[in-house]
Amino acid sequence: MDSTLLSIDNLHTQFQTRNGLVRAVEGVSMTVDQGEIVGLVGESGSGKSVTARSIVGLQDPGEIVRGSIHLDDVAVTDATDRQLRRLRGDTVSMVFQDPTETLNPVFDVGEQIAESIKVHEEPGPQRLLEYLHLPPFSSRSEWREYRERAIDLMEQVGIASPADRVDAYPHELSGGQRQRAGVAIALASDPDLVIADEPTTALDATTQAQLLERFRQYNAERGTAILLITHDLGVVAEICDRVVVMYAGEVMETGPTERILEDPRHPYTKALLECLPQRVDRESRLPTIDGSVPEPTADRAGCPFAPRCEYATAACRDEEVPTVALADDRGSVTCVESNWSESDTPPSRTGAPGARSESTAAPESAPGDSDRPSPIVELEGVSRHYSLASGPIERLLGDDDTLRAVDGVDLEIQAGETLALVGESGCGKSTLASLITGLERPTTGTVRIDGTPVGSVADRDAATLTDVGVVFQDPHSSLNPRLTVERTIGEPLRSVGWNRPRRTDRVRELLDRVGLSEQQATSYPHELSGGQIQRVAIARAIALDPSLVVLDEPVSALDASVQARLLNVLADLQADLDLAYLFISHDLTVVEHVADRVAVMYLGELMEVGPADRVFDRPTHPYTKALLEAIPSLEPDSSTGTSLEGTRPSPVEPPSGCVFRDRCPMAETDCAETDPDQRRLGPGRAKCHFATTDASDP
Amino acid sequence: MTAYDYLASRLTTSLAVTVGVSLVTYGLIFLTPGEPAEIILSQQLGRQPSAAEIEAFRAENGLNEPVPVQYLNWLLDVCRGDLGTSYYSDTPVSTLIVEALPVTLELALAAMVVALVISIPAGVASAVHQGSSIDYASQLGALLGVSMPNFWLAYLLILLFPLTLGVFPVAGAGSVGHLVLPAITLGTGMAAVVTRLVRSSMLEVLDEAYVDTARSTGLRERIVVYKHALRNALVPVVTVLGLQLGTLLNGAVVVEIIFQRPGLGTLLVDAVFERNYPVVQGVTLVTAVVFVVTNLVVDLTYRYLDPRVRLGGETA
Repeated sequence: MDSTLLSIDNLHTQFQTRNGLVRAVEGVSMTVDQGEIVGLVGESGSGKSVTARSIVGLQDPGEIVRGSIHLDDVAVTDATDRQLRRLRGDTVSMVFQDPTETLNPVFDVGEQIAESIKVHEEPGPQRLLEYLHLPPFSSRSEWREYRERAIDLMEQVGIASPADRVDAYPHELSGGQRQRAGVAIALASDPDLVIADEPTTALDATTQAQLLERFRQYNAERGTAILLITHDLGVVAEICDRVVVMYAGEVMETGPTERILEDPRHPYTKALLECLPQRVDRESRLPTIDGSVPEPTADRAGCPFAPRCEYATAACRDEEVPTVALADDRGSVTCVESNWSESDTPPSRTGAPGARSESTAAPESAPGDSDRPSPIVELEGVSRHYSLASGPIERLLGDDDTLRAVDGVDLEIQAGETLALVGESGCGKSTLASLITGLERPTTGTVRIDGTPVGSVADRDAATLTDVGVVFQDPHSSLNPRLTVERTIGEPLRSVGWNRPRRTDRVRELLDRVGLSEQQATSYPHELSGGQIQRVAIARAIALDPSLVVLDEPVSALDASVQARLLNVLADLQADLDLAYLFISHDLTVVEHVADRVAVMYLGELMEVGPADRVFDRPTHPYTKALLEAIPSLEPDSSTGTSLEGTRPSPVEPPSGCVFRDRCPMAETDCAETDPDQRRLGPGRAKCHFATTDASDP
Repeated sequence: MTAYDYLASRLTTSLAVTVGVSLVTYGLIFLTPGEPAEIILSQQLGRQPSAAEIEAFRAENGLNEPVPVQYLNWLLDVCRGDLGTSYYSDTPVSTLIVEALPVTLELALAAMVVALVISIPAGVASAVHQGSSIDYASQLGALLGVSMPNFWLAYLLILLFPLTLGVFPVAGAGSVGHLVLPAITLGTGMAAVVTRLVRSSMLEVLDEAYVDTARSTGLRERIVVYKHALRNALVPVVTVLGLQLGTLLNGAVVVEIIFQRPGLGTLLVDAVFERNYPVVQGVTLVTAVVFVVTNLVVDLTYRYLDPRVRLGGETA
């Protein structure tokens, strides 16, 4: 086949670790054609990143023990270092996941992009002194020329005012800009294939939409093939032509995107699709996949998914499972035929194979009923400003920039409700949460808990403190690695003076509530999975029977199936304990599933507040609309429409009038002059001159 | 914080540190046993001085004043640029230091060069080939270098080079040849410490994602290591180099005496034995200034190496 750019055949990549041999990739075969966008999908630990790294020869310290990779007819697995370097410089480029770590902090971005251009342009020997810019060995004018071209590339990937940004160091750029710079480094060599490993996972939905659009454009204009590695099926639906689904180091299913999403054949693909909150009715339980990914160190036979598969037979467990090619270029399935062949009907929305699939409506309490007597938390005109002056002298000189992290927020949280706080990163969500938990003190305005004005943690009395629990974003860094689960959960109990037997009983009860076993009480955080750690964090948060739990991005670090289970745990707890949640998230599909009410934040201000169905079905604020449009839709071929243009202005110098106006498609001159008031609209409110209930109706 | 603010605040602290050092040494000198006038005069006169002679000496050198007053007088003189005169030769202390300082600086610099020339390649090679024989050899070398006292190494070197092979002079100063053995002696210990540091710092950096980014563009491994990784790995190393200077100046005292180099170390040790207070004070002060200035330079280098330190605040 002429058009095949990349072909992987029966690839096995293994790692030698202290715990034994890790079989990260076990017999993966796949191809990418020229100009094709292929999605490589799977949960963490499925081996998709290792597969990608093997393609460019960066599998180290892993070892390719079997199989072959052909890239542009060169065998990567047998290539010499020089051949491999040429492949990387000419044919294949890689975009890595975390833009905070993938750019070298000590070189400006221009240098890093220019270097990549130079490598591509000068196939000869690369001399160290030349690359170190040592005058007699390196030509200044040549570097300057590459730098000029770097500016062009930066413009191509959508970095605003690239001529200024070219001298910026990575830490001076926002996450989105950094990732764009990373893409520019990858595109500098004008590659035939770009491998993008979770390129948008760390980014906001709006930035993600912009970047995916860039990928699509580049693919259309240059015919560059893209291998997009992601765990997010929404992203796949957005831009991929074809999908490869991986599980535990093996390919489960391949096929055109449309077919995979609408008619998945493999039980794993089906289960994965069904865990997605956007596929499930609001207020109903999310289907989950029982069990967990098998240990990659264990010897295994048969299908790796068999232990979690509803259809599994003895043959699945013990025998080699055939890969069956589907007719009409519809891909292939690695599963015993009887399991999938009859399921020609589209997947039902409620039943999940191998899952606790009962679709009981979660006994949801408190629909956003604003007549309720007294809210648990009430914010009145709350602002938190930070002075950027570095010392008293600057402050005296009036060189006093303030960063408005939170600006004039009015908000109340009722007992038993879930209020979701959404917005892009840096919009002040977490600061607002800190004001409620007392980790920050408001600059102006009042925070009331149970009707009493409260200050920061130091000023709060014990009753107020126990009333609010917190679960932080990154489960790995929010638990003390040297404390056992039991001590972690028992810590708040100890601080209010419970004795040991009472604590032990309570910890046992809490573990049971969050779905952990008693044996895990003696484990340390590193022995637990991400989902289990987050359960421990939740148990700690509810230990003192709070009436409100602040959940700061509680599930964003987790895989879809784990996320679904955790969201179910949260729903159960809320129903049993009548908890109110402040659910902070940038993932609107999750928010839509869990929230009773939604508050949308932009540049420290609330743009819109209202009942979830209203906000999602008929948003009134242009910013809310833009956010909703940026969500990757699971319907293939549905374009995201207009994504938000431009970058977020600095909270130090917010635009005059309405803070959103410079990115707002509806903005008029009036918006620059007068700051809109919060307008009441039925059950919700919005801060926009044009916010009317009709505005959203087409 | 702007660069000027930063410099201003650093200079203020540096000044305070220098004054503090002089205060402490002044205090320590007066705690040492023995009557200075007696020791000095008996050496100068070659006999036991009379009470009158002692009294005259004390009066002449202001030794009868209370110690705090003596210190303040000395400090005022220093501010006027006068470090006093030696009790023995009537030579101004500043002249003695100006003669001795280049000899020591030359040695310290040469030792630093020796240390870096050994430690950076060794540390990098060790990290790049972790677990290989190169790694073990360099680690063993580093262990030896740290554990070997420099006076012992100095005698081994003298035994080997001038005495057996007939190259390099045994002692003295003045030519490049004179510098080789003392520089090796002094540089080895430092090289050992820095090698280990470069190795561990480099190992950490080689695990960073941006190293893979650099590799993925098709750069040679050599450039990835020496351009992308090394500059990041050097950030903590530079900090330690500044602190190591203290050890280096310490070591210089011993090494200068063994190799009979007329540097600050020799000057200081002689002055201590002779109770030549103005010289002790002067040398200590100059050493403190050198140390403080070096660390200031180190911090500025740090800002150059790591752009994240350049500005106080985040601008992202």
